[in-house]
Amino acid sequence: MLLRVENIHKSYGDAEILKGVSFDMEPGQSKVIMGPSGTGKSTLLRCINHLTEPDQGHVFVDGEELTSKNLNAMRQKVAFVFQDFNLFTHLRTVDNVAIGPRKLRGFDKKAALDLAYQELDRVGLSDRADAYPAELSGGQQQRASIARALAMEPKLILFDEPTSALDPELTGEVVSVMNKLASEGMTMLVVSHEIGFARQAADEIIFMEGGKIIEQGPPSQIFEAPQQDRTRAFLNVIEHGGHE
Amino acid sequence: MSEWFDFAIEHLPYVLQGIPTTLGLWASAMVIGAALGLVLAWARIYGSRPIYLAATVYVEIFRGTPMLVQMLFIYLGLPEIGIVFDPLTAAIIAIGLNTAAYQAEYFRGAVRSVPVGQMAAARALGMGQFQGFKNIILPQALRRVIPQWSNEAILELKYTSIAYAIGVTEITARAEKIGYETFQFFEVFLLIAAIYVVMTSVVAQILLFVEKRVSVPGL
Ligand SMILES: Nc1ncnc2c1ncn2[C@@H]1O[C@H](COP(=O)(O)OP(=O)(O)OP(=O)(O)O)[C@@H](O)[C@H]1O
Ligand SMILES: [Mg+2]
Repeated sequence: MLLRVENIHKSYGDAEILKGVSFDMEPGQSKVIMGPSGTGKSTLLRCINHLTEPDQGHVFVDGEELTSKNLNAMRQKVAFVFQDFNLFTHLRTVDNVAIGPRKLRGFDKKAALDLAYQELDRVGLSDRADAYPAELSGGQQQRASIARALAMEPKLILFDEPTSALDPELTGEVVSVMNKLASEGMTMLVVSHEIGFARQAADEIIFMEGGKIIEQGPPSQIFEAPQQDRTRAFLNVIEHGGHE
Repeated sequence: MSEWFDFAIEHLPYVLQGIPTTLGLWASAMVIGAALGLVLAWARIYGSRPIYLAATVYVEIFRGTPMLVQMLFIYLGLPEIGIVFDPLTAAIIAIGLNTAAYQAEYFRGAVRSVPVGQMAAARALGMGQFQGFKNIILPQALRRVIPQWSNEAILELKYTSIAYAIGVTEITARAEKIGYETFQFFEVFLLIAAIYVVMTSVVAQILLFVEKRVSVPGL
């Protein structure tokens, strides 16, 4: 088992956002988390690499538990792709990708740059290597941030709504990069309402509501024969164009 | 006017001999202020409660008292408890400690203006908080702070003149001396004003050049 998420609880003040979430992932699996806004999907993802400290529960990566002691080392195994990219503004695209290997994986400058060009090639951005993030389109920025994650050679990548900050005509290029990664065997946990990616690449859909998983299963089951009324209602809305 | 030029040319060499002192005093103080200012800014942003409080008290004290008083305290007050500095060192320390308080606030504002997502992305990659600060936040904050820092640098360049009060023979002290020797105070202070204008303009141009040089689209 590559990832084990065990009974995660998180509250902000009086509001209990996550009410005990558990699931596992095998290497090479892709899972898509869906659910209404405010349900705690981002909070769950951030709890998995302790960007947000869970109040209760455990996260194991490759059998090793994430703790405050091994946090930085474990995060190198669990990459995170943000909704709003968060590329490092002062660095050229290639340096955004190279900085992880350079500062965290002990690569020398040349080796880090070589790897960075390789990863940029994987996401189809070689020709924009020298541009600054502000000079890239949203889709290009998100692909660059995926390359930055890949350069850590992580065991698992967490994606938090990677396409929802993009204009509709730009989501395709990001989804196709994600499809390609999934088919190459990358383990991916994706919060997204992109039906296309979910149908093509996901091994399992996790449907969350009110801080809990209320239904999970293969896409065929979730999309064709959802067991829960809430899942059905939600899918109805997103399949007819709305965000929720 | 031409009389003034003759006067200026005659006394310029003596005044100019004070420039290394003025600029040395200024540069040393700015370096001390930048280093200490960064530490204070770090303390006020990331420090635990006691560290935060200590840094805050420092900033309030140094911003809340006149620099001349600070300088006199260091030069004349500290010897009473056995700490003695020569005038130039006392002036460097006083101006350095003072500008540190202001620079800390400019740095703090600049660090705060970097979007929180930048640190989140650094931490998510596996950087520690200090690594993220050094590699990601600081390079952005420093670029953003250049305009304010330039103002502070120019202000302090002019403030070096108060070191004359504790006997540092920088250019203002030299001008005053010429004044008392010639009784041409009008001419000599016009001369000294011109020298300050030249120095501050050159410094402003250099810093503007640096600002353009390191600027990055989107920052
Ligand atoms: N740092 C925080 N402090 C307080 N409340 C928070 C914080 N972060 C999230 N919340 C609250 O937790 C709840 C869940 O937020 P979260 O972002 O995890 O939802 P989500 O399922 O990702 O929603 P969306 O689809 O809109 O992204 C929301 O009500 C939100 O306001
Ligand atoms: Mg979210």
